[in-house]
Amino acid sequence: MAASIVATPLASRASSGLWRDAWGRLLRNRPALLGLVFIAIFVLTAVLAPVIAPYDPGALYPPPPGASSGATGPYPPRSEHLMGQDLQGRDELTRVLYGARISLLVGLGSVIIGVLLGGLMGALAGGAGGRVDNVLMRVVDALLAVPGILLAIGIVAWLDRGLPQITLAVAVTNAPIFARLLRGGLLAVREVDYVVAARSVGASRARLLLRHMLPNAITPIIVAATLALATAIIDIAGLGFLGLGPPDPRTPEWGTMLTDSTKFLREAPYLIFFPGLAIVIAAVGFNLLGDGLRESIDPRLKK
Amino acid sequence: MTKFIVRRLLATIPVLFGLSIILFAFIHFIPGDPATAILGQHATAVRIAEMRTYLGLDRPLPEQYLKYVAGLFEGDFGTSFVNGQAVLTEFLRKFPATVELTVAAMIFAAGVGIPLGRFAARHVQRWPDGGVTIISLLGISIPVFVLGLTLQYIFAVQLHWLPASSRFEARSALELQTNFVLIDAWLMPGWSIDQKVGAFIDGVRHLILPAIALGSIPLAIITRITRASVIDVSNEDYVRTARAKGLTEKRIDGRHIMRNAWLPVVTVIGLQVGGLLAGAVITETVFAWNGVGRWVVDAIGDRDYFIVQSTILMFALIFLVVNLLVDIGYAFLNPRIRYA
Amino acid sequence: MKRTRSGALLVAAALLFGACAAGASPSPAPKQGGTFVVAMPSDINRTDPALIDDATSSYVETQAMEGLVGLKPGSATEIIPILATALPTVSADALTYTFTLRAGVKFHDGTDFNADAVKFNYDRWLNIPAAYTKLEYTYYIDTVIKPNVESVTVTSPTEIAIKLKAPNSAFLLTQTLIVFAISSPTALALGKASDPDFANNTYAVGGAGAMTGTGPFKFKEWVAGDHVTLVKNADYWDKAHVAYLDGIIFKAIKDSSATLNALQAGEIDFAQTMSPIDGKTAAADPKLQVFDRGGSCNLFHLAMNQTHKPFDNPKIRQAVAYAINKQSLIDTFYAGQAVVAHNWMPPGAFGDKDVKLPGYDVAKAKALIAESLVTDLSFDFWYPSDVSRPYMPDPKGEFEALLRDLEAVGFKPNPKTATWRPDYLAAEAGGQYPMWLIGWNCDWYGPDNFLNTAFFGYRNRSDNTFGPNEEYAEKNDAMWQAMDGALKTADTAKAAAGWQQAADLLAADMPTVPLLSSKPPAPAAKYVMGFVPNPALTEYFNTVWLNKQ
Repeated sequence: MAASIVATPLASRASSGLWRDAWGRLLRNRPALLGLVFIAIFVLTAVLAPVIAPYDPGALYPPPPGASSGATGPYPPRSEHLMGQDLQGRDELTRVLYGARISLLVGLGSVIIGVLLGGLMGALAGGAGGRVDNVLMRVVDALLAVPGILLAIGIVAWLDRGLPQITLAVAVTNAPIFARLLRGGLLAVREVDYVVAARSVGASRARLLLRHMLPNAITPIIVAATLALATAIIDIAGLGFLGLGPPDPRTPEWGTMLTDSTKFLREAPYLIFFPGLAIVIAAVGFNLLGDGLRESIDPRLKK
Repeated sequence: MTKFIVRRLLATIPVLFGLSIILFAFIHFIPGDPATAILGQHATAVRIAEMRTYLGLDRPLPEQYLKYVAGLFEGDFGTSFVNGQAVLTEFLRKFPATVELTVAAMIFAAGVGIPLGRFAARHVQRWPDGGVTIISLLGISIPVFVLGLTLQYIFAVQLHWLPASSRFEARSALELQTNFVLIDAWLMPGWSIDQKVGAFIDGVRHLILPAIALGSIPLAIITRITRASVIDVSNEDYVRTARAKGLTEKRIDGRHIMRNAWLPVVTVIGLQVGGLLAGAVITETVFAWNGVGRWVVDAIGDRDYFIVQSTILMFALIFLVVNLLVDIGYAFLNPRIRYA
Repeated sequence: MKRTRSGALLVAAALLFGACAAGASPSPAPKQGGTFVVAMPSDINRTDPALIDDATSSYVETQAMEGLVGLKPGSATEIIPILATALPTVSADALTYTFTLRAGVKFHDGTDFNADAVKFNYDRWLNIPAAYTKLEYTYYIDTVIKPNVESVTVTSPTEIAIKLKAPNSAFLLTQTLIVFAISSPTALALGKASDPDFANNTYAVGGAGAMTGTGPFKFKEWVAGDHVTLVKNADYWDKAHVAYLDGIIFKAIKDSSATLNALQAGEIDFAQTMSPIDGKTAAADPKLQVFDRGGSCNLFHLAMNQTHKPFDNPKIRQAVAYAINKQSLIDTFYAGQAVVAHNWMPPGAFGDKDVKLPGYDVAKAKALIAESLVTDLSFDFWYPSDVSRPYMPDPKGEFEALLRDLEAVGFKPNPKTATWRPDYLAAEAGGQYPMWLIGWNCDWYGPDNFLNTAFFGYRNRSDNTFGPNEEYAEKNDAMWQAMDGALKTADTAKAAAGWQQAADLLAADMPTVPLLSSKPPAPAAKYVMGFVPNPALTEYFNTVWLNKQ
């Protein structure tokens, strides 16, 4: 009698407390907060680029006074151009700011598509188990064995060049990894006590999957997804290195800006440094926040 | 367990077959073909058609595929359309270079990544943890070619501590037999022990910068997954029980945490092996490494079908074996995972 | 090693003493020995000079092989006899070239060089297996030997007569190509160099007998994808020009920055080529030197195809010519190491003429567009996405600059790109692009190679007619008459006049806009001595020595 009276209020308090606890934990996690700040900077930059940029991203500007040759660029940072001028004479700071828009779209796009594609496969395999698992995982193995480059080249060759196609190519490259991770996580969780218990009580497979297994298997995916956001931008730079980048060379996209500036590593390192720094800030932001989120949600982490 | 291994090994065969068909179809449906690539500027519609007939490319696809598979059984992995080299010979010549590079890169990545990850997990959510994350993310955010060229510039050009490129000193008299530099140093006839040791060390020195450049990506992933995994496991009930029982942190770490934390780490290491090919291409270009990466990418560009098909099939085989070992490792490390 | 070192020191000391006494500054005496490590932008294709058509293979095989004639060191145009004792006597009807051959020359495998060996080689080219032609290995044989050479006759062990089908003023210059070097017949047989099944051929893939010629270096090994090793030929027939070096290693390093790093780290001694921007960095390094090649043998032009609107309109093409700021391209992408083009070939070639091409004039360009009455100024403009050529080190960057210039006068170009192989080359050669970037790296430094072979000579088309090159669709019969006449005459004055007339007619048509000829830098370590640079990139290493311990 007494136990049941006590139990109910405790239960309801626990459920609202879970999220409030999680939020509280996140706020106390300093690195995660830093991540949040970085992401905010990234997103705000992307949204407000036309407002905060000092110049027009496509406009050309003259060389500094006293330049030794008639070259249109590149020129090192000075007061009118805080990050310098690129090869064509454009303002690098403006291009880096505008680059946030495209990188945000491409990075998020490829990760979301990749997680959906891969997660679906992995969930099916890990949730169903047995033969379904076997077959699906062999397919995933086969896909994983094909180098991402070949996939990317194929997709770009079929669908012609362009940022959307490259996004898809990167997503398809990452999807098998998400599939395997989710399936692995699900496998580990299937045999855990509370899942076995739920199953013995007769919970349906779908319910098992959604309410018990997925939330606990999601950890490695969050980690991989946040990492994939960072690598998405780098992957595009890599594709550009192989000659598969976006066709319009004037696109301000951090990865492409990096690839195009490699030939100036010695002569104009600032052209590599600033887009690179932007990518690092975005990557660090997403990863720190991702870690923080994961750790604050995890009910087992009661610190 | 043995039954499982045998069944998995047998399962690899249909996977490889399926993969070979998918690859074959995929490559042949990509626009462009070796005829166009070979003819280049001399490509006219007439010459392309002639070339395609000469190369056997106008035969029906299933016939071409069967011819290829029949050749595989005889050990003929095809020849390059562009320069007539036998694919298998070239692969055996170039593959050891890529193996040395990727193994060195993984040793670097795991050797630095796992301890870093554990360190971060021990100081979770405090600044050392964030610091490790930032460092590992730097590794992943800097493209391999930028990192490679920068490492070359700092360590070879400025400091003269390490060589800039290539697998061994060009002026040395080393001759390749197995095509593994680290082995061939010992196989040189007529060399003194000093010379052999010198050549071995020369080979290792040439491996360092490319291994770091290539390993920077798996380093980041291994660090992060190790960290996440150790954190997760540290908070499992059985670990807390162990702590409550009074076991030292060291004992808990060794016996309880790491054994279970290994799972995702090992998975990721297995997965990275496949992903390293992409990084290897760029690393091989920057460091003038005569490996398979660059060769395959150039072949894709030339639509040199046999090189691409055979090489990727061989990679797939290796990858499948590595992942089989990973899955076996799973079962060892976590007896609760049973295989149906 | 020790003996050489002290020996060299003695010589140096003696020279120094003698120099102080004489009051003149001495050049140091060449030192024997050492291995010369050279970086090439790619690997060679085959070890049979007859089956190559790329710059890297030519560069490497020039060290080991020799032909009847060759280029004078340092000159892109002056022909000197090499395996012949003198330039050939030409018959009155300009059909027969008679060469007197050197006596006492031996191939690397010890067999004798003689008229029979020369005939063996020419006959082999005339009868090269069809399979090799189908595989596209025999480009030069197909374009130079087969159409021109009728027969080769041995008149004595040291005399040979080559009979042409028709007079050809360019023929002798084409024979300086290393493709027509004389290989040892014994080695050719040993290596199955003419086996109809290429799989049996070892001569061409670095196997038995490969690259056996008469040159100052001998072939040692080819590790495909990595390097080629040559060693000194101590029995070289020209005793005055035996090599100082013990050997040469040609390493394939694709990336220009990586090449620069390797050079500065001391791992390579010389880079055959480098991007102009890295070349500038090398020039500023006190431990390096950059050899001045004096000129160049390439042409970069903005190409248009007249079957695509709006480029069928001559005023539009002229407008494009006025819209481009060529000097800005040179300053930005070539570190100043290029010259604005004044013809469709590099300056200084035989038959060259400054045809007064349009300069940079935005107002004039806009005026011409208005005059043309063309309203739809949009078109696809293509660039190659993954390649670097000596005349176009940064296709993407240069494309952006050109895009900007075109848009500034009112054009609406649509940026498009494709990979160099297999798509870009095949498509542009077939005339599928309205406007694109392309150039030509010469086979030999002659007007015919640019104006005729590369660009506008009439030829067999894919529709089986003989007419304008489908790449550009430039139809001008008067221009073709002038070129054809220049090719067929043996009178050099008449030939020069013909090429100049053709160039004038092209300038009136403006089928493409010639932009520049670039001079690829030749950076080397400071201790590399005796290197003789050549604008046509025919460079011999037997005069090279290393001034270091």
